[in-house]
Amino acid sequence: MLTANLARSRTTDQEIRPLFIDPTDGRYRETARELIQLFETHLDEPKGDLEDAIDELTVNDTDYKIVQGLAKLLKDECEFKIVASVDPHKIRQRLFEKANERYPIVRQPTLGEDTQKLEVYSAVADELGISLEECYRGMYADLEDNTRLVRIGTRTADQYTTDGVSSTSTTALTGSSDADYEHTDLTVDWLLTRYNLALAQAVLYDATEMRIRVWDHFGAVFSYVKLFGLMHRIYPIDVDGERVASTDQAAGYEAVLDGPASLFSKSQKYGIRMANFLPALPLCNRWEMTAEVLADETTGETRAFTLDHTENLDSHYSTGDQFDSDVERTLAQKWERSNTEWELVREDDIFDLGAEVMIPDFAIEHPDGRRAILEIVGFWTPEYLESKLTKIRQVEADNFVLAVSERLDCASEEFGRTADRVLWFKTGIHVYDVVDLAETVTVPSETPSGSK
Amino acid sequence: MELKFDDGTLLLRDAPESVPYAEWDDRVDEYRSQAYRYQALLEWAGIWSDGNEQATLRDGFGQALEDTARAYPDLDLTPALHIEPRDYQQAALDAWIDHGRRGSVVLPTGSGKTFLGLQAIADAGVSALIVTPTIDLMNQWHATLTNAFGDQLTEPVGVLGGGSHEVTAITVTTYDSAYRYINEYGDRFGLLVVDEEHHLPAPTYQQIPEMTIAPYRLGLTATYERPDGKHELLEDLIGPVVYREDVDELTGEYLSEYETIHMSVDLTADERETYDEEYQLYRDYVDSHEFDLWKEDGYAEFLKRTSYDPQGRRALIAKQRAERIARTAEKKLDTLDNLIKRHHDDRAIIFTANNDFAYDISQEFIVPCITHQTKTNERTEILERFRTGEYSMLVTSQVLDEGIDVPAANVGIILSGSASKRQYAQRLGRILRPTDDRQPARLYEIITDDTMETYVSQRRREGVSA
Repeated sequence: MLTANLARSRTTDQEIRPLFIDPTDGRYRETARELIQLFETHLDEPKGDLEDAIDELTVNDTDYKIVQGLAKLLKDECEFKIVASVDPHKIRQRLFEKANERYPIVRQPTLGEDTQKLEVYSAVADELGISLEECYRGMYADLEDNTRLVRIGTRTADQYTTDGVSSTSTTALTGSSDADYEHTDLTVDWLLTRYNLALAQAVLYDATEMRIRVWDHFGAVFSYVKLFGLMHRIYPIDVDGERVASTDQAAGYEAVLDGPASLFSKSQKYGIRMANFLPALPLCNRWEMTAEVLADETTGETRAFTLDHTENLDSHYSTGDQFDSDVERTLAQKWERSNTEWELVREDDIFDLGAEVMIPDFAIEHPDGRRAILEIVGFWTPEYLESKLTKIRQVEADNFVLAVSERLDCASEEFGRTADRVLWFKTGIHVYDVVDLAETVTVPSETPSGSK
Repeated sequence: MELKFDDGTLLLRDAPESVPYAEWDDRVDEYRSQAYRYQALLEWAGIWSDGNEQATLRDGFGQALEDTARAYPDLDLTPALHIEPRDYQQAALDAWIDHGRRGSVVLPTGSGKTFLGLQAIADAGVSALIVTPTIDLMNQWHATLTNAFGDQLTEPVGVLGGGSHEVTAITVTTYDSAYRYINEYGDRFGLLVVDEEHHLPAPTYQQIPEMTIAPYRLGLTATYERPDGKHELLEDLIGPVVYREDVDELTGEYLSEYETIHMSVDLTADERETYDEEYQLYRDYVDSHEFDLWKEDGYAEFLKRTSYDPQGRRALIAKQRAERIARTAEKKLDTLDNLIKRHHDDRAIIFTANNDFAYDISQEFIVPCITHQTKTNERTEILERFRTGEYSMLVTSQVLDEGIDVPAANVGIILSGSASKRQYAQRLGRILRPTDDRQPARLYEIITDDTMETYVSQRRREGVSA
């Protein structure tokens, strides 16, 4: 994300807007291309040199905020590492101790009596068993400017891919074949699109409240609400965005997002969380967002910041469309091969539980309108299971089926009144067990669920 | 009911309608209150106990509240101090204790507010968070706290801010970091110490005291009153002013005498060429436009232009480059070389205005170095070693002031400095104390001839005498 000083926005009496750039504008494409190249040529070089080279690009350029902003986003994709054979702090300590015995250390010795720095450096290098150069360069290798650029995106500098010591965080990322070298995932389009998203995020740093409306991908959106520690009030809405009485009539959901202390006064403390959350919205095909952004800290005046799916923002977050556990994926595969009228679908209903929303894993639907909800619990502790069950009781849905792994030896009595709706499984879930259970808990309903 | 710390607030689970200080939170269907109401809520429930006093239980109510909010430990500390508290410090401490360990102490700069803070921490006997406005001050508190309590703590003094994120029973932090993280750690401290507390009444920073449950609070400042009147908020968040000492009763104690020696160097031929080139670029731009740079408006006008005029932008860069050449002139190192020969038996602190130059000198003369990039722990270590004499020199790009344990030097060498009057005056006061009456303390100022620095140096001296 951008630092606050790199934000670019315009505030009018009515609203605040980020100063988006046009990703097809040749000027910006050229700048982006130049920057990406610059980063690539600085692979394995000190960070300070890279920063200097970036600064050099802005000498005659009044768009320096854009240049620095783009560079910041590239840096976020990079890994910088301290490269030293001995802990730099230790090298310094020994040097200063040794030097203190020998002061004055001077550049122009008087009659050969005074110490020269080389003597101290060599003495400490010998003591630590490193070369003179390693000693001299290692002394401040831990300064930000002296760290080395070892990875850009998925591309890792040569020697670090094979180096057993430093490879823990980088091995998985790339090989070093020629093919890998020719391609990098950081493209001009990627950078410019990400930049616009980052500009929008930066406006949110001072936001006190955010209202969202979404018409699809509820699961993904609300899992990001939770992930970033936002609280919500949630309302079902129809296709026009008007609030409706019940989730049965819902085509989408409106949610007001803020944080715990917002209850007492408007707080921009959660602005950073809202900024972090923002990329979840472009996961939806249709969405709208209005944030209240603090314009004047002393008067508490705010401006509205609105965005929707027509802005061409792109998300780099995962939709979670792919099943999040092996068990779920296997069940889905088995279901496809099985011979039952029941259909397994990704669940899209939202159960508002106050502090959080619950979006179960699956629904199982019968053509006659019967419907059961299936939640899979793979790895669990008694506490986790207890809180899950509490939530299910809160929902008061009798058609809830819980599939629980038998990994922990736990008596089924502990499950209270839902115990008869629990399906124990060892390694995988059997389709017909689920169907049997669904047959017993569901009753044919008059109308199929309205949210489908 | 249960009192639970939740993300910077208190969640009051199963609370009766009569619960004070609470708002109904329809998002979770529970009552919620601000974290700083912790003590008041315990008092309401009749289960607040202060130190040795027994809690007075309200009939049948005491057991009804379960406190799962408190996550801070008791501590048993005695400050290892080499100095006796002065009368007014003792009086301030007593007044604070009498007010239930809540409130502000107003003392002039240089009167040992940190010292008072140490005694308050030891007295309160609980874990403490110390909030300071700058990384500099945070570092000084860290050094002082480490000195006073280091041996008695099971973990080192924690640092939250300036690139460090270690939270322990005694932790120092900055306003900015505290604001950012207080919702996570607001249950971990029983005492909140706020240095320069007059900065606190801002919509953002005031969430620091709001989001912590700490029943004990101490605010320290020399200038309590704010022009906007917002210091009135402090009474609710920190407590009342419990003690106040005026400036004139304390002045004149710590001034020391020193002599100043000005030295100048020339640029090398190469440096001179680049300097003139860049400086000319800047002058040409300024001269071809209608603003008077020596006036504040004029300079602001210039800066404004640099944001939309590419030539203006280039002129600004040219000015910065020229300044940099003057600040880091090669021959300054030769002069420094001579001074180091002359003073290698003394205790010397070398000042530079930028980090790069400080590191150059550190590598060239193998001198310990402190900049704003130095991690708090290493900074404390270097200062401690300088104090004990293990190190006799250090180079710094930072202002080392206001802390009570920054060791004195008898030689100061300013290689380059900003034109800030305040910074300069503080640097002087900080370092210069004669040792053993042998010689007066000395301050060298090395400036580059025939550059903008000549002017800055002039202005700086005027600032000090004014």
